[in-house]
Amino acid sequence: MEILTVRDLSFKYSLGREDAVSGISFGVEEGAFVAVCGPTGCGKSTLLRMLKKELIPMGDMRGEVLLDGVPLSEIDVRTSASAVGFVMQRPEHQIVTDKVWHELAFGLENLGMPQDVIRRRVSEIAAYFDIEDWFEKDVSELSGGQKQLLNLASIMVMQPRLLILDEPTSQLDPIAASDFIATVRKLNTDMGLTVIMVEHRLQEVIPAASRLLVMDKGRLLHYGPTRQVCEEVSDRPDLLAAMPSTVRLFKIMDGEGECPLTISEGRRWAESFGNDVQPDFAQMDEQGGAPDGKQETGAADRKHGGDTNSGASVESVPDSDVPAMEFDDVWFRYGRDLHDVLRGTTLSVKQGEIFCILGGNGSGKTTCLGAAAGLNKPYSGTVKVFGKNVRDYRNQSLYRNCLTMLPQDVQTIFLKNTVREELKDAGESAGKLPYDIDSLMDKHPYDLSGGEQQLVALAKVLASEPKLLLLDEPTKGIDTYSSERISGILKDLRDSGMTIVIVTHDVEFAARTADRCAMFFRGEVTSVDEPRAFFSENNFYTTAVNRMTRGLFKGCVTLEDAVYALRLQKQPAGKDG
Amino acid sequence: MRSFKDHNPISVFVFYIFAIVPAMFCINPVLMCVSLAGAVSFRLAKDGVGALKKMLPFFAFPVLGVVINPLFVHKGVTPLFILNNNPVTLEAVLFGLTLGIMICSTVIWFSSFNSIMTTDKLLYVFGSVSPKIALILSMTLRYIPLYGQQIKKVRQAQTVTGLYKEDNAIDKIRGGLRIMSVMVSWALENGIITADSMAARGYGAGRRSRFAIFGWRKADVALLVLCAALGVITAACMGIGRLAFEWYPEIVSPGASAPAITAYIAYALLCAIPTVLQIKEEARWRSLQSGI
Repeated sequence: MEILTVRDLSFKYSLGREDAVSGISFGVEEGAFVAVCGPTGCGKSTLLRMLKKELIPMGDMRGEVLLDGVPLSEIDVRTSASAVGFVMQRPEHQIVTDKVWHELAFGLENLGMPQDVIRRRVSEIAAYFDIEDWFEKDVSELSGGQKQLLNLASIMVMQPRLLILDEPTSQLDPIAASDFIATVRKLNTDMGLTVIMVEHRLQEVIPAASRLLVMDKGRLLHYGPTRQVCEEVSDRPDLLAAMPSTVRLFKIMDGEGECPLTISEGRRWAESFGNDVQPDFAQMDEQGGAPDGKQETGAADRKHGGDTNSGASVESVPDSDVPAMEFDDVWFRYGRDLHDVLRGTTLSVKQGEIFCILGGNGSGKTTCLGAAAGLNKPYSGTVKVFGKNVRDYRNQSLYRNCLTMLPQDVQTIFLKNTVREELKDAGESAGKLPYDIDSLMDKHPYDLSGGEQQLVALAKVLASEPKLLLLDEPTKGIDTYSSERISGILKDLRDSGMTIVIVTHDVEFAARTADRCAMFFRGEVTSVDEPRAFFSENNFYTTAVNRMTRGLFKGCVTLEDAVYALRLQKQPAGKDG
Repeated sequence: MRSFKDHNPISVFVFYIFAIVPAMFCINPVLMCVSLAGAVSFRLAKDGVGALKKMLPFFAFPVLGVVINPLFVHKGVTPLFILNNNPVTLEAVLFGLTLGIMICSTVIWFSSFNSIMTTDKLLYVFGSVSPKIALILSMTLRYIPLYGQQIKKVRQAQTVTGLYKEDNAIDKIRGGLRIMSVMVSWALENGIITADSMAARGYGAGRRSRFAIFGWRKADVALLVLCAALGVITAACMGIGRLAFEWYPEIVSPGASAPAITAYIAYALLCAIPTVLQIKEEARWRSLQSGI
């Protein structure tokens, strides 16, 4: 039976001109897992909020939302608080109390449950989520992934019938994100819990989802069984960009038959092409990408879409013998009695390259960036920027026209009420920027999407005209379309002579963007290589396309590589001229 | 094993109140010495002989009392010697000593109080007044480290973006204001998320109840009743028997009246509770451990 019925739902914010959500109708069966996707600003979050009585924003709402056949407005406060659970984006700010156990009990306390009931439910949920070890900890000691699991647990303790998640993993690293999605999936299969989830990481959600809902401009475009919707989804690049690599590849190749959703299905489909001709990716790089393959990387960067060659850019900066950034046996720890975070880190970044540092949580990537920026002072070893020891840059000269760093949390650099004032504060004029943010000028920085915030923050730090740009997780919480745009912008900056060092978890982004990649493990660089070699040597820490084509084609890493390789096998008439 | 510190925080808190407060209002050398003996023996039982070294500086208080009080107070009928034309009296010396012992014992009690009553226990004690207060305290403790971390991040971000000068004091003040401004919008924007998260979990739906991880066992109740009874007896006898000494001009002790003796015994028993519990639990644990 339908647990949730939405009938002709429209909503207009009190200050908005148009409907944020218009004329949406759908029903959700009990026990279903509905994934919701659509471009940024399409009204996904607004729609989700309509489904939770307590979170309906101010504005004009028309239509009906029924929970078990009863309109939301007629359900009493206590029932609605526990029947519908809602998890939001930022794990940090959804936590209310200071202790893990208190957070778990918070909802039940609000409902006035007696002590012994709370005790039983809290202990049960702590055991199910395996959080007994940190039950008595302060929440400030938890990692981002643990915080979000705690948020989920403290909602599940109220025994909801419907769980709504609004981009819950956008602030998490990929491993924590997979764990989180796996937990949600387990709740769905173990408990028959009905789940509605908005996610960027469709690669992981789509195999779990029984139904897919696609929205655009406040309207419902598609709603139905996942595979069917994946096949139907239009060829619009921004919609397609959000899809898993398997689906995108299938669409680009005009695949026939069943659309592959998982890596293993994608693999079977790719095998059907055969691998009679081994692709020569060096040749492809020279030609500047696969023919026709580029349109799928989005409109952002056509010039450099396929350029993953490290050699060319370095040659364009002739006097570049001095490394832009050099670590020599660097040791660092945060306190005298704490453990070493950097353990003899040695690495060298050439001028004019994009250097990506990958690695697990706590491997010291961000610390390494902090050491380069002079924030973390190593107790042994030297860090040089353009041949000069970071320590010898006096009076902040390091940060003047030399080095700048964009922190992970870009909200730390927003000061003003509009983007325009923000740029004025930095002394940057929008005209000088290598990209276009005119449409954002009069918005409040906090109202922008993650991708837009990143672009504005980048614009701000570019004002100091750095030669070396350090970025910490620039694609965190960003949809694929924006991430591809950022990738293009960074390559443009690289081509204008800037050296860029990026710390990231995002392997797809690194494969697309980097000239060289380094793997960080326990405070040391364990391998450095250009992305094609780097990712084809890795087995786990690699792109979806590489996992899909492993053993078929050597060195096939990005979507374009796969398109190029598959086209060689089967040349559809009239496609390549 | 449950030693003194593992009992329900309310019992422990009540013990400390009765051990510290009455003695502070009654400058009586017997009570002071009993209190000091109780405080020191508990620290020794709890932390071993090594605690002695940590407590040593606190014994400066009696010494200071003996030296400083007579320098300023010249009341009293028993002059010991004349210093700078002022008499140093026995009464002043003894009062200084007693006062010093009081401060010393109070500080040592507090040192064990601090290590036992962690913030979550204090929160539990004060939150018992009402669930609302409990929540407010808990949220406050949540936000202090959160804001602290964010301020640090903002400061670093402002430095490394290289947009702002930090050459002189004015630049630094500007920088401080900038951090304030970032923090205000950050706190307001993200506060909305917290408010949503609270509303989504039924905050404001009715009367709140309160959950605590500290339960009540028989031993907790027994400890509470014992501490309260001994404490009330001590306080009552203090009231009836006027246990306070008169120091000036002549020392007048309350003598060995029945209320005084009752108070001394009750207070001595009270002060001995934590040490006895500690030693008892350790002995019990040792015998149990040998059986594992």
